[in-house]
Amino acid sequence: MLGAGFSVGFAAIGAAIGEGYAAGRANEVLSYRPRLAGEILKTMLVGQAVAETAGIFGLVIAMLLLFGPSSGKPLLTAWAYLGAGLSMGLSAIGCGVGSGLPAGGACMGIGRQPAVAGPITTLMLIGAGVSQSTAIYGFLIALLLLFKQLPEAMTFPGLCGLLGAGLAMGFGAIGPGIGEGIAAENAVYQIARNPENTALMTRTMLVGQAVAESTGIYSLVVALLLIFLK
Amino acid sequence: MEISGADFIRGLALLGAGLAMGLGAIGPGVGEGFAAGKACEAIGRRPEEAGLLTRTMLVGQAVSESTGIYSLVVALLLMFVVK
Repeated sequence: MLGAGFSVGFAAIGAAIGEGYAAGRANEVLSYRPRLAGEILKTMLVGQAVAETAGIFGLVIAMLLLFGPSSGKPLLTAWAYLGAGLSMGLSAIGCGVGSGLPAGGACMGIGRQPAVAGPITTLMLIGAGVSQSTAIYGFLIALLLLFKQLPEAMTFPGLCGLLGAGLAMGFGAIGPGIGEGIAAENAVYQIARNPENTALMTRTMLVGQAVAESTGIYSLVVALLLIFLK
Repeated sequence: MEISGADFIRGLALLGAGLAMGLGAIGPGVGEGFAAGKACEAIGRRPEEAGLLTRTMLVGQAVSESTGIYSLVVALLLMFVVK
């Protein structure tokens, strides 16, 4: 129950910040380019939908935690559920914010250069997709914690390991999610300045995001070790 | 549930490993993303300097990655060395 609350609560924080940022940028652009309202509104909604997915992951995990069969399971399951909630909820913060940033950048970019709306939207979706990846790791760890067969015996190291796995993946996903979002935001906006650099910008953005992703992958490795280590 | 002293230390070490890696990954993630974002911005202004800017971005990211690697090392030590 506590895990379900954490999952959906933290996930909602991230999704809300990210979507709010996108909406703020959209309004900023509309104030000086009112004629582009339709195009900007469309981009804002697409970007917000991507930022929302992390929140939806959080909701799915919360539903699984609330309505999953909990009777007849070993006591250790409670701690695994708490870990699952933390993993999903915290990891969704980063990705919600991170996916919202490129959406904001895309709105600014389209306001500046409406002719290249196509490439801008494409790069926004790529960038938001990459920053979504750590939320997917968090989702994976949460599902592992939910459905793994746990030993009957309740041990203190066992419960700490499950909780630690959730914390490692959850917190570890915040940073890469936000960082990749910042990279994508700037890349998207710069395409509007210089559309002929689209390929170069996409490459630089992906290289930068790959490096920022590395700590998220360390967190995933540590979380998996904590779950499967004897 | 009986908790022996050794179990208590082992358990807290595992919890600490999770916290070390989790919290330790926030800073490098945001910082490296920031570097990548600024590099994109600068390449957008001066595309002809793309090589130099990419190199500078990677050097800066490697430095900010170091604390993430420290966290990883500490987490692995807590998992495999602390008994």
